[in-house]
Amino acid sequence: MSIEIRGIGKRFGNFVALEDISLHIPTGELVALLGPSGCGKTTLLRIIAGMETADVGQVLFAGEEAAHVHARDRKVGFVFQHYALFRHMSVFENVAFGLRVKARKVRPAEAEIRSRVTALLKLVQLDWLADRYPSQLSGGQRQRIALARALAVEPRVLLLDEPFGALDTRVRKELRRWLRRLHDEMQISSVFVTHDQEEALEVADRVVVMNQGRIEQIGSPDEVYSSPATPFVYQFLGNVNVFHSRVHGAWAEVAAERPEGGPESAVTAFVRPHDIEIEHHPLTGGLEATVQEVHAIGPWVRVELAHASELIEVELTRERATILALAEGQLVWLKPRQLRVFAAPGKTMEEGGSGI
Amino acid sequence: MNGRLRRVNAEPRWLRALLLGVGLGFLFFFLALPLLAVFVEAFAAGWTAYAGALNDPETRSAIGLTLLVALFVLPFNVVFGVAAAWAIAKFDFRGKSLLITLIDLPFAVSPVVVGLVFLLIFGAQGLFGPWLAAHDIKVVFALPGIIIVTLFITSPFVARELIPLMQAQGKEEEEAALSLGASAWQMFRRVTLPNIKWGLLYGVILANARAMGEFGAVSVVSGHIRGETNTLPLHVEILYNEYNAVGAFASASVLALLALVTLLAKTVVEWRMRRENSMLLADLPAEES
Repeated sequence: MSIEIRGIGKRFGNFVALEDISLHIPTGELVALLGPSGCGKTTLLRIIAGMETADVGQVLFAGEEAAHVHARDRKVGFVFQHYALFRHMSVFENVAFGLRVKARKVRPAEAEIRSRVTALLKLVQLDWLADRYPSQLSGGQRQRIALARALAVEPRVLLLDEPFGALDTRVRKELRRWLRRLHDEMQISSVFVTHDQEEALEVADRVVVMNQGRIEQIGSPDEVYSSPATPFVYQFLGNVNVFHSRVHGAWAEVAAERPEGGPESAVTAFVRPHDIEIEHHPLTGGLEATVQEVHAIGPWVRVELAHASELIEVELTRERATILALAEGQLVWLKPRQLRVFAAPGKTMEEGGSGI
Repeated sequence: MNGRLRRVNAEPRWLRALLLGVGLGFLFFFLALPLLAVFVEAFAAGWTAYAGALNDPETRSAIGLTLLVALFVLPFNVVFGVAAAWAIAKFDFRGKSLLITLIDLPFAVSPVVVGLVFLLIFGAQGLFGPWLAAHDIKVVFALPGIIIVTLFITSPFVARELIPLMQAQGKEEEEAALSLGASAWQMFRRVTLPNIKWGLLYGVILANARAMGEFGAVSVVSGHIRGETNTLPLHVEILYNEYNAVGAFASASVLALLALVTLLAKTVVEWRMRRENSMLLADLPAEES
């Protein structure tokens, strides 16, 4: 079922949680709401679920206005960050809950409930835990039970609030792939909230990047990563590789390309750390820098360099690092392979402009 | 080596003995001895005298009245306590802190003052006095008055017990129940109530102990009519003032027994609560599969 969000706004006192959010989620798509904490992504999810009401705007399910549809009638499966399993019920009863509370006329018979719950537990590969209590399960198991519970009522939409946020890295990666497979099998629309860009890029069909109650960019994982629409998206979607330097004008020349507006107007250039080339000999238009530190981190070697007063991070492959054999205090030349230039925002523009 | 470690980690032997002695001595003189004295005095004239004193019609009526008051008061306490705790723990609204303060009011006011307040409201010269007299309704110096002041005195117990519990549990489970299609009643009945049942029972036990033992406020509004408006605590005082030591202590022993049963029940409930809490806080087992 498709979800249409039109001009949603929400305030908590003086705090603007959401401002003029519009978004269309077609049937069958898996969408990630990505942003830093406090950006309004969870509020938006709760508004879709009907647990929070928007001050302005509309939510439409399959084209139908949902404002007067109570949370319990929305047929929305909701998965909480901290699982919210019913602690006094066994795993089986947790999953059966949604079926047991149905009105008598539509409630399935006990045998039917049994077989459906067992099938769901098999789907999440935890049928052997049916008689346990939530407190006896690990975090990853709890979250899979929470998913099975949400799926029991055959929701038209699945909403997940930081579903893997409380889990450790290995379990998180495993559950991510599992969620993706599950979504594809179930043929429903899913929206999940995350602050982990890797998670969003890996799992989602489309990523909605949010910041301070607004949508910064909507696009496929590849789009938002390779052509970020705003400086915020650029910085937020960098994983640990994010590199942002606020060099004006000069950087544009380094790249041998002039951004629109020319050197007179101040700009901010963004370069990913792995998009910088280091050479021992001077490069035309290259930037002179001193090696400060060299760390090997997993498959990468991270080099910190100083150019004037600025710190620059570069990531090299291990092979390249071995060839370069960088030593601390060494003078080298840098050249970005790829960069992206944004006009500096208001205030910086004036300052930067007069400075150059 | 071992000896030195012990000296570093523990107080000297004499200090430990002194502290333990003071603690146990206090327990004995102020808690155990009085309790013992009640039963010793009650049985001072033998079994038959004890049984006779309890079989006295006025004593039996006092016991009956005390149980009746508790029976009226407790259901109200449950409803009010759960409703107040629910509102405070799960919702944000204007005047919330005022409500919390109001709930604590009965703890802060002296019971005698509470009695006087209700005397001023329902008494013959009171606010509703003439109206009540005109309709021939007796509140003060009758059962309704006793129930009303006991309600006032005991109202905070359940709410006080539930508020921190419900706040700690948050509202995610309720939201999960709603998103799964549960009605408000189903959510309360199947999710909220099972989660708070031990806390609720604990509050009820405390409220019950207070309802049965309340003296000051009840004393003011009861009128001490023997066999009619005398609760057990009031009855003990009357008998004692009449130098009927066996009667007074026999009645007191009933109250003491009620207290002991309450304590036992409280211990069991506390044990269950702790066990459930420790189950909830138990470390997660290692990730399987």
